[in-house]
Amino acid sequence: MYTFSNRLRIGSFILMAVGLLGIGIGFVSAPSTVAEAKALVAAHDDGHGGGHGESATHEGSDEAHGTVAMQGQDHGASHDEHLLHQLQNRPWSALYVAALFFFIIALGVLAFYAVQRAAQAGWSPMLFRVMEGITAYLVPGGIIVFVLLVLSVLHLNHLFTWMDPEVVAHDTLLQGKTGYLNTPFFLIRAAIFLGGWILYREVSRRLSLAQDEADDNSNFKKNFRWSAGFLVFYLVSESIMSWDWIMSVDPHWFSTLFGWYVFATMFVSGITAIAIISIYLKSRGYLPDVNDSHIHDLAKFMFGISIFWTYLWFAQFMLIWYANIPEEVTYFVTRIEDYKLPFFGMLALNFVFPLLMLMNSDYKRVNWFVIMTGIVILLGHYLDVFIMIMPATVGDQWAIGIPEIGAVLFFAGLFIFWVFRAFTMAPLQPKRNPYIEESRQFHY
Amino acid sequence: MASHYEAPIRKPLVLGDRDYHDVSVDIARPVETRANRQWWIVFTIAFVAFLWGIGCIIYTISTGIGTWGLNKTVGWAWDITNFVWWVGIGHAGTLISAVLLLFRQKWRMAINRSAEAMTIFSVVQAGLFPIIHMGRPWLGYWVLPIPNQFGSLWVNFNSPLLWDVFAISTYLSVSLVFWWTGLLPDFAMIRDRAVKPFQKKIYSLVSFGWSGRAKDWQRFEEVSLVLAGLATPLVLSVHTIVSFDFATSVIPGWHTTIFPPYFVAGAIFSGFAMVNTLLIIMRKVCGLEAYITVQHIELMNIIIMITGSIVGCAYITELFIAWYSGVEYEQYAFLNRATGPYWWAYLLMMTCNVVSPQIMWFKKIRTSIIVSFIISIVVNVGMWFERFVIIVTSLHRDYLPSSWTMFSPTYVDIGIFVGTIGFFFTLFLLYARTFPVIAQAEVKSILKSSGEKYKKLRDAGQPLYQIQKTATIREKVAEDQSLPSEGSKKEVADLLGAIGVFDAKRETPDDLKRIKGIGPQMEQTLNQIGIFTFAQVGKMTEKEYNLLDSITGSFPGRAQRDDWAGQARGLNNSK
Amino acid sequence: MATKVIHAYYNDDDVLMHAVKKVKAAKHPIEEVYCPFPVHGLDKAMGLAPTRIAITSFMYGCLGLAVAIVMMNYIMIQDWPQDIGGKPSFSYVENMPAFVPIMFEMTVFFAAHLMVITFYLRSRLWPFKKAENPDVRTTDDHFIMEIGVDGNEKELKALLRDTGAVEINSIEK
Repeated sequence: MYTFSNRLRIGSFILMAVGLLGIGIGFVSAPSTVAEAKALVAAHDDGHGGGHGESATHEGSDEAHGTVAMQGQDHGASHDEHLLHQLQNRPWSALYVAALFFFIIALGVLAFYAVQRAAQAGWSPMLFRVMEGITAYLVPGGIIVFVLLVLSVLHLNHLFTWMDPEVVAHDTLLQGKTGYLNTPFFLIRAAIFLGGWILYREVSRRLSLAQDEADDNSNFKKNFRWSAGFLVFYLVSESIMSWDWIMSVDPHWFSTLFGWYVFATMFVSGITAIAIISIYLKSRGYLPDVNDSHIHDLAKFMFGISIFWTYLWFAQFMLIWYANIPEEVTYFVTRIEDYKLPFFGMLALNFVFPLLMLMNSDYKRVNWFVIMTGIVILLGHYLDVFIMIMPATVGDQWAIGIPEIGAVLFFAGLFIFWVFRAFTMAPLQPKRNPYIEESRQFHY
Repeated sequence: MASHYEAPIRKPLVLGDRDYHDVSVDIARPVETRANRQWWIVFTIAFVAFLWGIGCIIYTISTGIGTWGLNKTVGWAWDITNFVWWVGIGHAGTLISAVLLLFRQKWRMAINRSAEAMTIFSVVQAGLFPIIHMGRPWLGYWVLPIPNQFGSLWVNFNSPLLWDVFAISTYLSVSLVFWWTGLLPDFAMIRDRAVKPFQKKIYSLVSFGWSGRAKDWQRFEEVSLVLAGLATPLVLSVHTIVSFDFATSVIPGWHTTIFPPYFVAGAIFSGFAMVNTLLIIMRKVCGLEAYITVQHIELMNIIIMITGSIVGCAYITELFIAWYSGVEYEQYAFLNRATGPYWWAYLLMMTCNVVSPQIMWFKKIRTSIIVSFIISIVVNVGMWFERFVIIVTSLHRDYLPSSWTMFSPTYVDIGIFVGTIGFFFTLFLLYARTFPVIAQAEVKSILKSSGEKYKKLRDAGQPLYQIQKTATIREKVAEDQSLPSEGSKKEVADLLGAIGVFDAKRETPDDLKRIKGIGPQMEQTLNQIGIFTFAQVGKMTEKEYNLLDSITGSFPGRAQRDDWAGQARGLNNSK
Repeated sequence: MATKVIHAYYNDDDVLMHAVKKVKAAKHPIEEVYCPFPVHGLDKAMGLAPTRIAITSFMYGCLGLAVAIVMMNYIMIQDWPQDIGGKPSFSYVENMPAFVPIMFEMTVFFAAHLMVITFYLRSRLWPFKKAENPDVRTTDDHFIMEIGVDGNEKELKALLRDTGAVEINSIEK
């Protein structure tokens, strides 16, 4: 049985406390009037010598919001109003991005776990308890994301502009979408998806634990069926979730590939989390039967799915770049103009880095090397989610400062606390999985 | 060292009481025996279709593309539909050999060879269409980036059609090399069994002198792994680039970002269906039921079901996002697909591709060979219509309503398509008679983990091998020769007296090589002595074994150890 | 010069592996092992150096990538720049999304083919090459271990018999 070491527990509490502080500072320092907002930007620009050129980014962020141009009002005043909204959005966006990021790590692990079960993989059963521990975070993580969505619906923030009736009233495109993009339906969908994912997680966990004590394979078979069924549900729900929670912050923009692209992000982040946590537990002596070949396989998945992610990123980017259709291409124009460094930096972190680092098969067996690469991959995919949300919500007023770092620290602390608490509840190595012996002898 | 352990609940992948030698015998049999009547009938049909196709191609090239049903609005129809269809089918081979290799799926060993063959043959069919469509195929080399004599004009690297040239040719050549490298040890096996000098010569030539040294195997495995690693993104890239042909455009229904992964999923879908079609027939005709088992068919059906579901998910995503986008052209394109004049094609595509694979959720159905066969054909019909729907319905209602029209194929369109099917089957039938259709070396390497014989031993708690210390030591052997020495006439007479003389008029010779321990050389020797049937061998006892040993002068005790007589009696009874 | 070698025949891969380890431990030089199929871990047991063919493949891939970049940069940017689809070709980087597919294909093309050619040449495999396996059964179900004889031949043969060889032949080469 795993015992939650005090150092780690205290560490997670410190992370949460510091994170909360950072989040608090973010909310307190957000401007509440137009004048404050202008003063803040002026001060900021003085300090940075006009780091974010305003005029250049003007067009892109307006387009993303899709409100100002159509209103046709006094442009200057509306621009100031817009600036205020962006600055007010910043702490919310920082919170939302971090909450979403850690949630999709857990969801990615759940998908990986279900695939392993449905595929009757022989190498991975040794790691099932680690995966089950990580997916325990779906409950708190899911609730937090849901609460944030509810707060958006209640107009406490402006993350989703389509939720603002004022905006929809002036926007024919959004009016056409109200059949889908309306707040009750939005929340119902979110509730169904979260409920479905958590249900599968709990059922599968229970069957997995029951299998250890059983004297036949009936629990194992049931788990197999549940996993196959879950994957069908996941295939549909994951795409819709991506459109709802992420794509609709840019309510005019659309891309059919988007759901699968988000899937690649969560899948690679989830696998990376499994690798990092397994190596940590192994180094503490808790997973005696997990050997370098298991780590090697996880690292191969990190490598392979990183390339797969790049493939989907490129497919989406290149097709939109090539066809150059205005309503689609604004998405990337905004990002390249206002987010040049994180936009291209993320490509380096998520593609070039894992490609070069994990190509050599010997390195995939060096545990600390996998951890280092894994941390970079996670950073890269945080940026990836950042780039999906921020341009629509804060436009060119982005930064990675106290609110963003605070939110990441808070959720990291919560994630660690919850996941490792889950590890203490059951033995870390399953006993009676029919493939457990294959997994124990797994070596090449 | 890797253990041969495998979970007992996994089903065996090689059925029956088979050991290494039996694998060689079973896989060499189709090559070493003569084709039967059915083969000739099917081959003739395929070849006639091929000839008709050639006729239509010649007519097209000599007259012009006007012989096709294309018109000003629908400028692309069957040609590109067939091209994409064939390329798509070609994807399963590399997927099985590369992706399943990386995922360490042992069941791939029985089907990868034929799937790769199918890949190469279908990519050949696909490649024909762009070449014919050039109108002047002898100028086909103009797609290469070579300076030409008309000025400094180059090919256009911004064009997805040129990307296709590079992608398809890389794919075809790399698949070919991957396939051939894997074939070397198996050709060598057939070479070393061959008795007829012509066969021996041919298989020596194609096996590139493979000798099976430890270092060769080490390199072989590394090369296979690296090629698999390269072929995996390659196979994705090929259909991705094919999808770029459409998706980079600004035509509603074509320009959509999901196309690349969705085309790849569809390609794997149709490719696996074609593998199922071919292998269900081949396992029967070539007697390979013990290697391509119902378990294999079930797994392929599951992949068909998964990729079918992914394709279905993509269809629905496209439909939904078309509505969600608020772009009226996009909305109309999809409305027109479903309810316009080509509704029937759309309906066919939806039923065949999305609905029909879903019945594979039932174990009864996915383990039924006849249903699998039917579904595999249904899927490929559906996938043909998918491409037709995408291509023709998007074109036939263009931006100018006055030019809206329909497409109808001419007999030349149909003839070329049927011709490629004939060509494909001609190639595959020839392959099935001359190539080792199962990667026997790889099957042998998984025999101890997944063969029924060894699984039973393991379940019974018995060792998988025994170390016998009974070797014969021989000095100064120059050459292994086992031909009967002159002057052993008396022994031969004694031997035949005891086991009976073969009567060529009444009896037919048996394939003595099926007895473990009898190779082609030994069979030849036995035939020279006058032993041709299992019945004769079955009558041998200690005394006859000794006589045989003294005649051949080689390997005393081998026949006892392998119990030739017992084996022969068994084979004779089951004849 | 006639050298003497012993060919020990085995008919099981596990028996072979044990034998290789024993012969190796007894410090007899294993000159070659002929197998009908890849035996996992045999190369390590024999003490063969790991193959470097994957590294050559990586280098060939880099070469392919470089060739693709140089070629397209010359053709599309320097020699005959054009404005294609509203995208004037002023620089390679700006037009790179359109070049990525061919950069990828050429990388794979070079990496795959040159590696396989390297493999064929290093392992001496080509059409009309004569096979060198000493017994036709080594492509069917037999394994041959070829051991050089230096010193005590009797002892070696006894050892081989103990390891479960099914035939042991002395050969003058």
